Amino acid sequence: MNDEERGPWYLLTGLIIGAVLGLLYAWIVQPVQYVDTSPASLRQDFKDQYRALIAASYVANGDLVRAEARLELLGDEDIYRAISEQAQRTLAEDGATSQARALGLLAIALGQDGAYQPVPTQPVQTRPTNTIVPLTPTPTSTLPATPTPSSTPEETSTPTSTPEATGETPSSPATEAPVTTQDGQDGTPTETPIPRPTTTLTPTRTPTPTPGGPFILMSREKLCEQKFSQPMVQVEAKNILGQPVPGVLVIVTWDQGEDHFFTGLKPEKGLGYADYSLTPGMVYTIRLGETGQAVTDISAPECHSGSGDTFWGAWLLGFVQP
Amino acid sequence: MARWIRFLIAIVVGAGLGLVYGWLVNPVEYVETTPDTLRIDYRTDYVLMVAEAYQGEQDLDLAMRRLAMLGDTPPAEIAYQAILFAQKAGYADSDLERMQALLSALQALNPIQEPPPP
Repeated sequence: MNDEERGPWYLLTGLIIGAVLGLLYAWIVQPVQYVDTSPASLRQDFKDQYRALIAASYVANGDLVRAEARLELLGDEDIYRAISEQAQRTLAEDGATSQARALGLLAIALGQDGAYQPVPTQPVQTRPTNTIVPLTPTPTSTLPATPTPSSTPEETSTPTSTPEATGETPSSPATEAPVTTQDGQDGTPTETPIPRPTTTLTPTRTPTPTPGGPFILMSREKLCEQKFSQPMVQVEAKNILGQPVPGVLVIVTWDQGEDHFFTGLKPEKGLGYADYSLTPGMVYTIRLGETGQAVTDISAPECHSGSGDTFWGAWLLGFVQP
Repeated sequence: MARWIRFLIAIVVGAGLGLVYGWLVNPVEYVETTPDTLRIDYRTDYVLMVAEAYQGEQDLDLAMRRLAMLGDTPPAEIAYQAILFAQKAGYADSDLERMQALLSALQALNPIQEPPPP
């Protein structure tokens, strides 16, 4: 068989061999290496640790805007849900540790923050401008306002980020857009969109509950209006003005154990609200805080319908801090 | 053109296509990275968070464990590098002071070098 009879199939064979060699080189010998990653690409357990650190930092500095900006870096669809779920998970797994408390306080603060707006994390092509939000004094603003950058990135060709101080002194650039840098190919940084923070002045607040005396029981009510899937106790903590108090430690004890949780982790039910599932046959004692009034003889409440059916209800305990 | 030359050209074209596909169209994706691969500005903000938390907690062991997430480098060196970047990037003085305080505490345990001037 001569060359004319064999046709052009050898060209296709060459292409395939070349493609295979190219893929081997690109995927195995010299794959794309990401060395300048963003928090959004972190593994889930590292994201949890990152969130816990954000919460610890928030408890230390009370800067909710900065905490929100940092949480945005993790790329969660709903940062409030993410932090709330982690707070409850940590409480369930580790008890009332300082980490669980910090996560809970941050979740509560985010839940209270009605004006929360996600910080954009995608680079935009427009040049940033400073947005100064006028300070509106409120009774809850107990810390001095701290200029905190929000992200209004612009595209540059430099591989490092430099906050642009135009007007207010910027604090740390907490919000950056994700950047992917190919490394190990020619050593030259690719054109990388780098955000430059703008300065946003926003009042911050102290998340800790108002100090006061020990919580005392004001009401104890058995709820049978609705059927609960399991018996539970619901707690509502209020201050002397009747305002709900979030972040209050609730201590539940029984014969063989003790559990802790906080009010406010379900802000959709009220900032001073917390609930706990009861085990039928067990007798519990509940108090708010280490020095609060102990409410004894709490057991699974049984309710009866008009037709004689029995179902589980709930105890509603109202506490007030004088 | 000789047949083998055309064959070699086909291999080169195929290799080029493979590289384009492997590097650009469908590159290896790293979606579960570790903190030690974070970009320097994110690392610096991470160190600042550790410093802020340390300021409130005063727990140096906990701060060192948190810094250890950023790799095998000694914690004091991590804080030092972060301060250098923070100074270049124009961080607020209050933030630099917090990081300096953390660095001083770390250096008291394991001195490596003088802290950079503010």
